[in-house]
Amino acid sequence: MSVVTDPKTGLIDGPVHDRLAALSRARGWYGWAGYAAPSVLDTVEFEYFALRNQCALFDISPMHKYRLTGPDATAVLNRLVTRDVTRIRPGRVGYAVWCDEEGMVIDDGTLFRLGAQDWRLCCQEPMLTWLIEAAWGFDAEVRDESDTLAGLALQGPTAFAVLEAAGWDVAALRPFDHAGLGEVMISRTGFTGDLGYEIWMPWADATAVWDRLWAAGGPWGLRAIGYAALNIARIEAGFLTAGVDFQPVHATERLHRGKTPFELGLGRMVDMTKGHFNGRRALAKARPRSLLMRVDVEGFKPAQGALVYHRKRREVGHVTSGVWSPTAKRNIALAHVALPWATRTPPDLWAEIYTLEEGRWDTRMARLTPVEGAFFAPQRARATPPGRT
Amino acid sequence: MALKSSYDVIVAGAGHNGLTAAAYLARAGLSVLVLERNDWIGGAAVSRSLHEGWTYSNCSYVCSLLRREIARDLDLPKYGLQVIPYEGGASFTRDGDYFAYYSDHDALRREMARHSPRDADAYPCYAQAIMRQCRFIRPFLLRDAPDPASMAPRDLGEMGYLVKKAWGLGKRELGETLRFWTMSIGDFLDEHFENDLIKAHLAGSGIIGTGLGVYSPGTAYVLLHHYMGDIDGGIGAWGFARGGMGAISKALGAALEDHGGTIHRGAGVAEILVRDGRVTGVALEDGREFAAPIVASNMDVKRTFLRHVDRAALPGEFVRQVERFKIRGSSAKLNIALDAMPAFPAAPPHASFLRGDMHCSESLWALERAYDDWKSGRWSAEPYVDMLIPSQIDPTMAPPGSHMMTVFVQYAPYDLAVNGTRSGENWDATQRAALAETVLNQMSIACPDIRERILHMEVRSPLDLEREVGLTEGNIFQGELTFDQLFFNRPVPGFSQYESPVKGLYLCGSSAHPGGGVMGAPGANAARAILRRAGKGATMKGYAA
Amino acid sequence: MSRFDAIVIGGGINGLVAAAVLGRRGRSVCLLERSDRLGGMAGAEGAYPRMAHLLYNLGPLVRKDIGLGARDWPFRTVALPTVALNPGGAHVRIDGTEARFVDGRPHPDAAAYRALVTRLGGYGALLRRLAEAPPPGGDAAWTDPAALKQMLRLGGFGRALRQMGKAEMRGFLKVLLSNAYDLILDELPDGPLAGALAADAVRGLAMGPRSPGTVFSLVYRHGHGGTVSLPVGGMAAVVAALAEAARAAGATIRTGTAAARLLCEGDRVIGVETGAGEVLMASRVLSSAAPLATARMAGLDRFDIEASRRMRLIRARGTVAKINLRLSALPRIDGLPDDLLGARLLLAPSAEAVETAFNPAKYRQMSDEPILEALLPGVTDPAQDAGGAVALSIIAQYAPSDLAGGWTDAARDRLLAAVVGRLAAVAPDLPGLVAGAEVLCPDRIEAETGAPGGHWHHAELGLDQLLTIRPANGLGHYAMGLAGLYLCGAATHPGGDVMGLSGRNAALAALGDGP
Repeated sequence: MSVVTDPKTGLIDGPVHDRLAALSRARGWYGWAGYAAPSVLDTVEFEYFALRNQCALFDISPMHKYRLTGPDATAVLNRLVTRDVTRIRPGRVGYAVWCDEEGMVIDDGTLFRLGAQDWRLCCQEPMLTWLIEAAWGFDAEVRDESDTLAGLALQGPTAFAVLEAAGWDVAALRPFDHAGLGEVMISRTGFTGDLGYEIWMPWADATAVWDRLWAAGGPWGLRAIGYAALNIARIEAGFLTAGVDFQPVHATERLHRGKTPFELGLGRMVDMTKGHFNGRRALAKARPRSLLMRVDVEGFKPAQGALVYHRKRREVGHVTSGVWSPTAKRNIALAHVALPWATRTPPDLWAEIYTLEEGRWDTRMARLTPVEGAFFAPQRARATPPGRT
Repeated sequence: MALKSSYDVIVAGAGHNGLTAAAYLARAGLSVLVLERNDWIGGAAVSRSLHEGWTYSNCSYVCSLLRREIARDLDLPKYGLQVIPYEGGASFTRDGDYFAYYSDHDALRREMARHSPRDADAYPCYAQAIMRQCRFIRPFLLRDAPDPASMAPRDLGEMGYLVKKAWGLGKRELGETLRFWTMSIGDFLDEHFENDLIKAHLAGSGIIGTGLGVYSPGTAYVLLHHYMGDIDGGIGAWGFARGGMGAISKALGAALEDHGGTIHRGAGVAEILVRDGRVTGVALEDGREFAAPIVASNMDVKRTFLRHVDRAALPGEFVRQVERFKIRGSSAKLNIALDAMPAFPAAPPHASFLRGDMHCSESLWALERAYDDWKSGRWSAEPYVDMLIPSQIDPTMAPPGSHMMTVFVQYAPYDLAVNGTRSGENWDATQRAALAETVLNQMSIACPDIRERILHMEVRSPLDLEREVGLTEGNIFQGELTFDQLFFNRPVPGFSQYESPVKGLYLCGSSAHPGGGVMGAPGANAARAILRRAGKGATMKGYAA
Repeated sequence: MSRFDAIVIGGGINGLVAAAVLGRRGRSVCLLERSDRLGGMAGAEGAYPRMAHLLYNLGPLVRKDIGLGARDWPFRTVALPTVALNPGGAHVRIDGTEARFVDGRPHPDAAAYRALVTRLGGYGALLRRLAEAPPPGGDAAWTDPAALKQMLRLGGFGRALRQMGKAEMRGFLKVLLSNAYDLILDELPDGPLAGALAADAVRGLAMGPRSPGTVFSLVYRHGHGGTVSLPVGGMAAVVAALAEAARAAGATIRTGTAAARLLCEGDRVIGVETGAGEVLMASRVLSSAAPLATARMAGLDRFDIEASRRMRLIRARGTVAKINLRLSALPRIDGLPDDLLGARLLLAPSAEAVETAFNPAKYRQMSDEPILEALLPGVTDPAQDAGGAVALSIIAQYAPSDLAGGWTDAARDRLLAAVVGRLAAVAPDLPGLVAGAEVLCPDRIEAETGAPGGHWHHAELGLDQLLTIRPANGLGHYAMGLAGLYLCGAATHPGGDVMGLSGRNAALAALGDGP
């Protein structure tokens, strides 16, 4: 009857787990693609402000990474994603979404063009089967690099200075550029909307790269952070998280939960003129049913999980991500709102927010004000060459 | 409780469905008598002590399908029912490896990737397709199957519900659903996976209890039939009833008695009495008679109408159809008392999958060949075995340190071919022992020392199951789960709503919609049908209403 | 550069019918056939049979729609009796619903057989209503006239179903998805008569009679009352009649012209480029090639990933080999009167034997004791014996397309020996009469006709590939996604069997007006 836990279950260590574990005072771990990833290492506040004020290091190795090569690699990707990938030149990175045949978003991610017919796709959801299916009948090879290629995100105003101090010259990298620097590849990309880089290297090299950055970063206030701090930053930047702000349609048991790119506010990512791509016929016919909105929430209580009402009466949607933005000093949120209410003027939309304060549950209606663009988009994120602080 | 001479309802057979029907009827205020031939109740949901200190779930052995609506309506936990989910499972190979199924999806993904990275990635899509089908079918389990030939408002209403649900799927999913329901599990798995072992592991549920092979169209549904249950809302999860499967029957029996019903054990029904096309009661094997205007038979449709009802009382066409109803014995069972946990050399220390369902089939072809053997009247030379050791998590099954093992065997024919004749009567002690040898050989792939661990072993052939539990041919579902015997075709077209040509005579067993497994749905649905037609003001209440 | 209203790819039965139907509706049509011979699986040089050898299902609706209207077919057909051969026993003669021993004695199961086959015929007539129209469902809105028409038609099917009476309707809904083995053996003892039905239920399919769904294929066979007829002049006469109908309707027929590429503009097809590089323009292209082959001609990237996946997964495992023997003289068959030598001879001693023959095919092996449909067409139509040799045309099952080790010469010889050996059990002198043999295994059938896996229906006629989901989900209405492109081959609803309904339905779908 003695029952001992099977060692094969549970979370496993990522490539820099030793470093993270040593820094983890909060001991807050969560599962990210099976890896133990830090939700908080120290405190969310300190980590967040390090990210926005100095710079922060975050392990993104659990992301799924796929390599596409072969004479038809570009054709396969153009079949897959909604944008025209031929416009992403070698040395550039492009954000892309891809849909199923009904035009519903499967996932979003970044496409690295490493060569004319050499691509890397980084995304949140496992995608091997789908990529193999997309490439079936084409002269292209799909390779899963998810657990052979590690990634570290270095984000924040001093990120450039840290890389420089570590001996990597990325002064010439513009946003969405990438370049190979010795053993690593560095891209000027990130999930924070701020100045930042992602450093890619073989799994086994990740600890050495971490150490090199860590040693160089001390004077620049480098701090390791967990997902909780990063999440605030990505909401400020207005970025979507799969499984939170939209339900990846391949990971959905219940029917009719999918959203089109138009409904996610990603219409600019859809090129209806480039020729056929997956879901194009459905998208050509589809009328948006709802809209993912960026909203400013009245008051100071985060609206995460709140239902959205029109004129405080008719339920028309829900908040997917809501947080108080310490940098923008605004109460911000992303919300799915059904049409036509999403586009009515004046909007007259309200979030029903439940609060628990010292033992008492309360509810309040908070007015939502639509916001165009990101909540926080600093100039420094775009400057080339970038500043050091 | 003293027996009366007449009741509102008599239920013939105290299987879990009979008890479920009886409990609902008693709860609605009817006087109910359940007659059981054996000295124990539960039919095939029983716990038996056949070796001092050990408890065997010697027929059905795991639990998932029991509708939670029923457990809740009848308050079964109050009467001692506790269902404990078990952890995953594994398939072992001759070369000393295994594939383990984990409920932890990251662990499962890593384990699948060990065999095939592609299959690891494909699994969520496969699971999604199955779960969608489960979600689609579950609402139908506690509803009546409409008669498409009927214009009665109820039938039209149920048909409308079906159309609405199907329409709600959307065009694409409706196509996928039609396809899934008509496919073989082998073809379905081949579409998703490349690894033989993974496919073989997942295919088992498509053939358990069924006279079909993994490549027979319709077996994808059979798999669904094993996945559409849940434990505490975890769809597809399976578990053990604490104290063995008899705990379910015991709880049902206690609920029934608490609501004023009576169970009479050792009282085999000889005949269901019919006069002028109406049921009047039953006569027992010992000659006693009990009167009731309503009789619900928990026996399968063949047994009920071909053995216990006067042929003259039934329309010829109905009898013809009942005769053609397919109930095929295809499974056997070993129940084993072990002096200690057998060694599984392939398994790493503390492997959680040993607490789950274990198998020794390595490919779909091996499973299909096992079916070919059965077709020609032999038990499979390499049978599909479903082995579980519940005593690892249920302390009531065996003395501390010792274990109880249940081994389900597919395929073993009822009409065994011996010397050119095919008959159930061929199942003698010699054949049973030879079957056990075959099964133990197959099990040895996983646990080579199994023979040394055995203190006592019960071998149950399809004939044994028929003789003891009364299931025709020892078929665990009281009828094949093929398209022609499901939904409005089950058991006989035009009689899918528990009634029969004899007024007042109902079926409440697994021969009726939605079919077999320890589900209770046919029993609850039959109770609802009875109360609707003859409830005298009493009505069905609760989640199964 | 030539311009047409429509181009039809493939000059098999369905391609010819599609071309004729389109032409009759005033469209200029060009039909392209890769090989030098029309007819696909029904094609033959002269009257001598090659692949298909008998007609089951060629019906008057197709005849009307290709403009042969009130007249009968321009070729003569002779209805053949079927003989269920019984090695070592009495053979059974079957004429439609009637069964008796070949010596005229009544068969003890004749009444049961008649009842069963009559029932199947009734179901077949009902299913035919579905076969003669596109399958239910579709893209059109409810208010669309085509959708309304379809609703009416479905209503008609529902009415016909109800008119059967409650009992028959229930019976139909019960057995339709069931397996032939149980259906047959519920009514008949196992033996040649049961075997004949079982063999008919699985001919051309990768299923045994115990597979659920084989009642459907048996009923499909009985869609036209179950009569079997031999076209005088052979299949070539049938093909010639269809080709003549297409030409008469104004269609241009070009043999020896392969379609290499579909030309597209935006999201529509605009023409075809031939293998020789010639460009033919048309706003509609109907392809009787396999769905995947058709998609590849346009480029897979013009189709959604799910669609190409489904096309890839269409099950089409051919299981039939065609064996054409040239005999030096008419064989003698023990116990068979000479006047029945011209019958359709079935060697399927029992339903059990059919299932047993199927077993090895599951594991990519050929049957040890294949099930045979043999025909001596020259007995009825001497023209079908060529060059002084007696033609013996044999359909042998199961010979799976994916035979382990491939269809090598040795494998073909093994199959031939097994077939001749089987026949020798009823015709002992046969092995000595064989003067020549042509063994067409599924690989050859595929190479010659393009049918995937050499499958008779281009796609398995299984329940999961029928009606709305034939050949695959989302492809059930002939249209393929790319505007102007249609499938018109046997892979589509309702399927093959020298019937022409797929081609006809597809042509009507392409014309944009439902039948």
